[in-house]
Amino acid sequence: MAQETKVRESTGTDANGHTAVGQRVTRLDGAAKVTGKTVYADDMKMPGMLHTSVLYAPHAHARIKSLDTAKARAVPGVHAVITAADLPDYNRKDSNRTGLIFPDKEVLFFGQPVAAVLSEDPHVAAEAVELIEAEFEPLPAVLDAVAAMEKDSPLVRDPLHDVDRSEERGHVSVETKETEQEGEPSNIASSAPFERGDVAAGFAEADIVIERTWRSAMVHQSYIEPHATIADYDISGELSVWTSTQAPFYIRDELAQAFGIPENRIRITATEVGGGFGGKIYLTELMVAALAIAVKRPVKYIMSRKDDMLAATPAPFAHIELKTGMKRDGTLTALQARLIYDSGAFPGAPMLPGCMLIGGYYRCDNIDIKGYEVLTNKVSVGALRAPGAHNATFAIESHMDIMAKELGLDPLEMRLKNAVAEGDLMPNGQTYPAIGLRECLEAIADSDVWRRRREVEATPNRGIGLAVGGWLGGLQPASAIVCLNPDGTLNVTVGSADITGTNTSFQQITAEVLNVPLDMVNVETGDTKTAPYAGMSAGSKTVYTVGRAVKAAAEDLKQQMFELAMKRLEVEPEDMEVANCQVQVKGAPDRAMTFKRFGKLSTNFGAPFPVIVGRGSIAARKTAPGFTAQAADVEVDPDTGDVTLHGYAIAQDAGFAINPLSVEGQMQGGASQGIGIALWEEMRYDEDGRLLNPNLLDYRLPTSRDLPPIETIIVEVPSEEGPFGARIVGEPSIVAGPAAIGNAIDSAVGARQHEVPITPERLLRSMGKL
Amino acid sequence: MPRQLISLTINGREREVAVEPHWTLLETVREALDLTGSKEGCGTGDCGACTMSVDGRIVTSCLMLAPQVNGRQVTTIEGLQSNGSLDPVQQAFIDTGGLQCGYCIPGMIVAARNLIDDNPSPTLDQIREGLAGNLCRCTGYTKIYEAVELAAERIRGGA
Amino acid sequence: MRTFEYKAPETIDEAVSLLKEAGGSARPLAGGTDLVVQMKERATRFPYPATIVSLDRVSELRGVDFSETDGLRIGAGATMTDVATHPAVRERYAALAEGAGVVGSLQTMNMATIGGNVCNAAPSADTVPPLLVYDAKAVIVGPNGRRTLPIAEFFRGPGETALESDELLAELRLPVPATGTGAAYQRNTPRKQMDIAVVGVAVALTLSGDAIEHARVALGAVAPTPLRAMSAEAALQGQPASEETFAKAAEAAAQDSTPITDIRASADYRRHLVKVMTARLLAEAANRAKGTA
Ligand SMILES: Cc1cc2nc3c(=O)[nH]c(=O)nc-3n(C[C@H](O)[C@H](O)[C@H](O)COP(=O)(O)OP(=O)(O)OC[C@H]3O[C@@H](n4cnc5c(N)ncnc54)[C@H](O)[C@@H]3O)c2cc1C
Ligand code: FES
Ligand code: FES
Repeated sequence: MAQETKVRESTGTDANGHTAVGQRVTRLDGAAKVTGKTVYADDMKMPGMLHTSVLYAPHAHARIKSLDTAKARAVPGVHAVITAADLPDYNRKDSNRTGLIFPDKEVLFFGQPVAAVLSEDPHVAAEAVELIEAEFEPLPAVLDAVAAMEKDSPLVRDPLHDVDRSEERGHVSVETKETEQEGEPSNIASSAPFERGDVAAGFAEADIVIERTWRSAMVHQSYIEPHATIADYDISGELSVWTSTQAPFYIRDELAQAFGIPENRIRITATEVGGGFGGKIYLTELMVAALAIAVKRPVKYIMSRKDDMLAATPAPFAHIELKTGMKRDGTLTALQARLIYDSGAFPGAPMLPGCMLIGGYYRCDNIDIKGYEVLTNKVSVGALRAPGAHNATFAIESHMDIMAKELGLDPLEMRLKNAVAEGDLMPNGQTYPAIGLRECLEAIADSDVWRRRREVEATPNRGIGLAVGGWLGGLQPASAIVCLNPDGTLNVTVGSADITGTNTSFQQITAEVLNVPLDMVNVETGDTKTAPYAGMSAGSKTVYTVGRAVKAAAEDLKQQMFELAMKRLEVEPEDMEVANCQVQVKGAPDRAMTFKRFGKLSTNFGAPFPVIVGRGSIAARKTAPGFTAQAADVEVDPDTGDVTLHGYAIAQDAGFAINPLSVEGQMQGGASQGIGIALWEEMRYDEDGRLLNPNLLDYRLPTSRDLPPIETIIVEVPSEEGPFGARIVGEPSIVAGPAAIGNAIDSAVGARQHEVPITPERLLRSMGKL
Repeated sequence: MPRQLISLTINGREREVAVEPHWTLLETVREALDLTGSKEGCGTGDCGACTMSVDGRIVTSCLMLAPQVNGRQVTTIEGLQSNGSLDPVQQAFIDTGGLQCGYCIPGMIVAARNLIDDNPSPTLDQIREGLAGNLCRCTGYTKIYEAVELAAERIRGGA
Repeated sequence: MRTFEYKAPETIDEAVSLLKEAGGSARPLAGGTDLVVQMKERATRFPYPATIVSLDRVSELRGVDFSETDGLRIGAGATMTDVATHPAVRERYAALAEGAGVVGSLQTMNMATIGGNVCNAAPSADTVPPLLVYDAKAVIVGPNGRRTLPIAEFFRGPGETALESDELLAELRLPVPATGTGAAYQRNTPRKQMDIAVVGVAVALTLSGDAIEHARVALGAVAPTPLRAMSAEAALQGQPASEETFAKAAEAAAQDSTPITDIRASADYRRHLVKVMTARLLAEAANRAKGTA
């Protein structure tokens, strides 16, 4: 295979003396997944369970005149039809997408849930939904985010109040002076400025100034498992929810607030997530829980693909105006940007990270960046892997290429010259910790794709493009527990949903700390009643934060064993070590106590030791931003505009790859999504705001025919706080694709692409051939 | 609609099931036969998560009606293991890291097994062509290609 | 999916009488890759069927046979896989093998039938331009027996055909291509597979030496039905098989098309593609013709 993975191939002990971390380890849940045994939410059945079918608003903006459910209720097999009027009491928050179950007066986007039918037979429920007689009075729909900012634009909705932004903060930690909508009512939900130096002076100093506008389409996470939730509310007042989520504790807290139920009486079980990518935080759970409370029976809601395309939380359209100045020697002198993110009908667009990244890759003394989050009558957006980052990166990384070309500079050298490093400023004035942007550029220079550049570019209509990307990462406290079993094996319990193989990394971390073979350690994600707290599995922070807690828990367990062994081994803990599944005296391995013995002595009847339970809990303070550099090799058919991807390479700084196999998987998966955004993916709306492509035939995810094997290069610049130096991994990989492909196309046919997806038609128009 | 009885051979076992005519093969297998390995990702033939083999040919079971499989041989992901050990294709997906969330995987593996049965030495291009009906959102396919190559090699080697 | 009655006749006659009995409320089901999707989405162009007449047990509808005297007979129930992998189709009707070989995924091709593709009458149906260039005939069976229709007359509009509600398409018949014939089909789609044609073009050329004796050009997805590009054919007929001729014919084909702008592409782009693809395919067909001559 042409593909080549350049990574430390390690078996046994690596250069740093690691035996478990840093190894290519297959997933703990691999066998369950390849046999179809893994249980996802849709695979679960509860006694007496009802299925849900939802009525979605057929208008982008309309007043609800009447909702007549009589005919739907009359269908044999229908258990209940629930509208806003039939919902149990809850703490409704109209300004938040997830604070409002069904509207009672006005629908704000095409696809907004309006009512639900419950039946034991999902087909009956679906049929009855069609019989709900809903009358709407259409209102002007505001669909274009840029026009929506104008003073005289109609309003998307009533002014916002008390917007809850906790979900967004789970993905990224940014300190800013963001202002929420205030003053005159407008469609601008929030805005934020980032300024440094004097841009006018910076442009005056520049030898070239480039000013362009960049657009990137609304795209969908398109996890293969649509949203799936089951809820049950029992007579004693306990609420249980099984749901495909990345954020069980977050949901618990939200539901507790919404229904006034104490947090200890809510059990959220994060079922196996069939793909989330930021889109499965909190969405359907409030509705399904409310339905279960209303009917006192378990309620299951499985979104169809169409439901999910219409009414989940895709990623925003962005319109970005960028002006950059550069000196002939390649010094970036000024950067001015206006970023407009289309938030849809509720706030939540990732404008802040976009602002941070557009001015965050390169050193520049003069910046003036303004971000806007603008409301429209479209489905409200959520997070998609490094939310907001690809949009901004498409702009800045295309600019860097344009400037390099105009100045006759090598695009890679010029980026290296300006790339930020430890101590450099972010747009908000904070300084970067140790980061690996330059190292990624150096690594991509060494990729097969980049090295064949001259040869490829000599071929007509072929080109290679380069772009960097990055993500700052989220922070949340985390905790973990490690228990020693009577037979000396170990159980790790965490509260973080395992989506990407994080539990396997926790297995490695525990095995490393306790110096035991991997199969001595098992890891389980508990529910919110049994597991120690963890933040959401988003913001790329799971291994970075929960992994640290696991490490601390394993160290705590080790320390407990050392202290318990003092009497019997007659040495101080400093003189002990763990090896061969035992605690032994350094230099005298035959003076030892096996883990099994500790296990027995701490659990048997009349055992002398207390039960040995390691506890780890951490506060995460320092982000560990992750950067990437990517190169694309494309061929353009100059007469049809068709693009063929011949090769793709990604280099990414993982800090320390605890499990290179899963790090590579994250890099390849993210890169493929970036490529999808670059070439195919786009949610298309008609002039009335109706989604035209709510299916996976017309919303085009890359197929295997479209994607060559991806060359994958792991870079390791250790982070300060992460376990063994690991840093965030999941998200940076998606960020560079649009720019890398756009730059490659420009290199192939000399046509600059200002909008993604770069459809054959757009490409041909840009070449002046249409 | 009254249920009608159909009989089919599912993973080598003959079964009779009472179905409603509008049930799909996918629903029938998941709900009535309790084999939940096969997944619904789209319900409209576009993703391949529901892939099963019917009389030796792979199909999207979300588009096949239950009565259509009356008298036929159906193989799902649950039918790939034999004597308690994994099929080489299953093992290869684990070994190369060719799976993440796993939702596409049952369909993907059924398709991959079928591909290798038809062509024991598939080239990379043939693999890419053969799996184009099975979307995977997580892996970017790279490790899936490796898994199929590895599985084909092991099967050829009689492993 | 809303429920329906399900019938599984074993002969064409039985199927036809079931359709007749139902008086328009029944619908034949072949592979279901169009019909089941439309029923799930409540997007049938006809009233939601109360009865489904499944054709999968009707063995008369199966099979692909070729003879040098009678040409090709394809049962309406032959799957895309059956058609695309059939040795005679691959050898003698390459454009049809190409059309059938791009329908969806392997899974789709194992289910989808050629009859379903034709009867669903999508302007983008990938087997139809090839059928047009091979002068296929549709054999239709109804309560009053059989009738035969040139395939070009079968289509009335998007989703509309010449079939009555109690008629079935039984088979397609394609004459033996004359010696010296080369044909090809190609479509343009944003993804390399699993996509619906933005434009589909099929051509067939019969050469005698360097002269074009007989020409067919058919287009998909650029009009309410797949259509033959008559002025393009006229521009080819009797002309030398040269790049210049092909360019003229390609231009004419673009004129013959009446595309619309929809979610998949704009009318402009489609017309442009017709021109580019027709020129390329004519060159390809000429090469193939020379190869077989
Ligand atoms: C994922 C996917 C991808 C696809 N890709 C393509 C593609 O690339 N190109 C393409 O052209 N199509 C494509 N299609 C559409 C579809 O697969 C084809 O049109 C297919 O050939 C339909 O055949 P079928 O046997 O499934 O028909 P069915 O769905 O069973 O029937 C289609 C229609 O024809 C009628 N019908 C069927 N047989 C007869 C008969 N013998 N007599 C009278 N009426 C009949 C039915 O009543 C129905 O109205 C795709 C579909 C899917 C789901
Ligand atoms: S669920 Fe059948 S193809 Fe997607
Ligand atoms: S592993 Fe998640 S979709 Fe393939």
